[in-house]
Amino acid sequence: MSIDVLPARTAALDQVATLQLPTKRDEAWRYAPHKALGELAFGSSAKPAAVPSSIDDQIPAIDGPRVVIVNGVVDLSRSRLDSLPAGLQIHRLADAPDEAADLLQRGYDAPEDAFSIINRAFGTDGALVRVAGEVDELIHIVDVVVPEQAQAASASRVVIEVAAGGSATVVETRLGGGESAGGSNVRTEISLDTDANLEHIVLQDLPASQIHLARVDVVQSARSQFQARLFNLGADYGRVSYHVYLAGEEAHADLSGLYFGFGSQTLDQQITVVHAVENCTSNQSYRGVLDDDSTGVWNGGVDVRPGADGTDSVQSNDNLVLSRRAEVNTMPRLEILADEVSCQHGATVGELDEDALYYLRTRGISQTEARRLLINGFADQVMDDLRDDVLRSWIAQRLGHDHG
Amino acid sequence: MLSIKNLTASIGEAQILKGLDLEVGAGEVHAIMGPNGSGKSTLTHALAGREGYEITGEATLDGEDLLGTEPEDRAAAGLFVGFQYPVEIPGVNNMYFLRTALNSVRRTRGDDEISAREFLSLAQEAMELVEMKEGFLNRSVNAGFSGGEKKRNEILQMAVMQPRLAVLDETDSGLDIDALRVVANGVNSLRSPERSMIVITHYQRLLDYIKPDFVHVLVDGRIVESGDHTLALHLEDHGYADFVNHDLDPASLSGAPA
Repeated sequence: MSIDVLPARTAALDQVATLQLPTKRDEAWRYAPHKALGELAFGSSAKPAAVPSSIDDQIPAIDGPRVVIVNGVVDLSRSRLDSLPAGLQIHRLADAPDEAADLLQRGYDAPEDAFSIINRAFGTDGALVRVAGEVDELIHIVDVVVPEQAQAASASRVVIEVAAGGSATVVETRLGGGESAGGSNVRTEISLDTDANLEHIVLQDLPASQIHLARVDVVQSARSQFQARLFNLGADYGRVSYHVYLAGEEAHADLSGLYFGFGSQTLDQQITVVHAVENCTSNQSYRGVLDDDSTGVWNGGVDVRPGADGTDSVQSNDNLVLSRRAEVNTMPRLEILADEVSCQHGATVGELDEDALYYLRTRGISQTEARRLLINGFADQVMDDLRDDVLRSWIAQRLGHDHG
Repeated sequence: MLSIKNLTASIGEAQILKGLDLEVGAGEVHAIMGPNGSGKSTLTHALAGREGYEITGEATLDGEDLLGTEPEDRAAAGLFVGFQYPVEIPGVNNMYFLRTALNSVRRTRGDDEISAREFLSLAQEAMELVEMKEGFLNRSVNAGFSGGEKKRNEILQMAVMQPRLAVLDETDSGLDIDALRVVANGVNSLRSPERSMIVITHYQRLLDYIKPDFVHVLVDGRIVESGDHTLALHLEDHGYADFVNHDLDPASLSGAPA
């Protein structure tokens, strides 16, 4: 290991020993399965996981650079890191160059929580992505989890830096396999310099036997643009939390996503955008579809710090509940400590429109097909934010696969 | 083609249709006129198969029972209903919707699905019929459409579905005179000896454009008078007062056919 990160990791391990896991009283963890979280056993794999080859067929077929992480360890045989385009560097985190030390050890505005500390302690491998210039090819980071025994959990880390004026699109796909219950903890840290632009897409579809904890910390300099696209399609408990810190004037963060739960899944979105300086803009726009006994959580906040005048933010969360046993908890939050701001928020929870179902059926479309059309119509409005056809069809196929 | 006998429809305690009889032959256009609350829209929904009504009586299309079947089966049997208030369906592409609808009824009838090329030319013809521009099919179904666009979209769907029987409920409501002309032209060009139509309207105005073979007056859940198109002219001059709240007095029906 070329960077001396041992002191930080040792400190984190010390903390882990005495760590208090979140409880139901922590608002941000209210709907988490606390017992199951407490039973997860984090640690690096003793041997490379025997990954079923069916996993490879599940990975979206995107050309271009790719890092595949299996159970917390980069799998070079599945990765594609030769002939990277100009302006792009990708390193395996375990072999990160010395000069990246500051980037790897920087702190973030949002406080650490028990699982981000666990990530610091156990997330020893992953990807470091550095962009200087305009990179057109999609950069694909795939995190695969195949628990080797019950309750086995892995941790990995992704660090993305876009230099001044640079632009890139990073896709993070999270998949799993195997029969064992288990979990994963993926931390993504993103730094955007002035005028940088990053589209960050998370495709998350893990087996219903697994827990997935994702945290994304973002720091944005002046005039930078961040687009977050989340497709949270499956896990026993699938959590993604975003902490976006708008540190430079005229920075813009645009976050949107879809969570689509069935069975007894709980899909949990925790979002906080901090407007720390003047004249930044942010948008949060999420949709949820909840079927069977599933639970959806959307806890979206905007914090406008003192002096952040001229803040303009919009939040919306719309939910479609398909079953009487499904549940959705939507909580838009606003904390405004500045003047002259415009902050709008709205949330809706509804069922399938009976009039629309009837209308479609009078045109000869069966009840099943009519429901499918309406559900897809609702969900597809989030997919409109994606330009890449491969990603769109991957999502459509996963949704279709899940629902026969 | 369509035969309705002693049709009743209730919601809860309220009976809306109270024993309606109607015979529509092949190729005929029938107008049903009536005041607000007379049961015009309920007749539409009873035929289309909307949930929530308690229905008795009989309705057959080409001899086959309609009332015991699902809405989608009635469409496959050849029924098309043009609604007074077409539903907005955001996120569902108009073209995809039309093709799904057409292929659904074809599959139910045991026919092959239509090819993409055939469908496009069919859709193109239908668009020209209702004078809509290219982008119309790429929008979401009725979402953000003006009142006139929604009604034109209903006629466009009828042109694509090629039904045996079309029931058009208040197709003229909310239309300016230009849109009315377009909609009426669409309807008239779809008239054929093989296709029957029921045009339900509050006003006689539509019947200046679509000339019916028969006119029926619907009051309080029953057809109380039937005649040719001159009956509509009588209603235009005298309103429904002659038919409401008292027994019919033939002497007051001057201008109506005996």
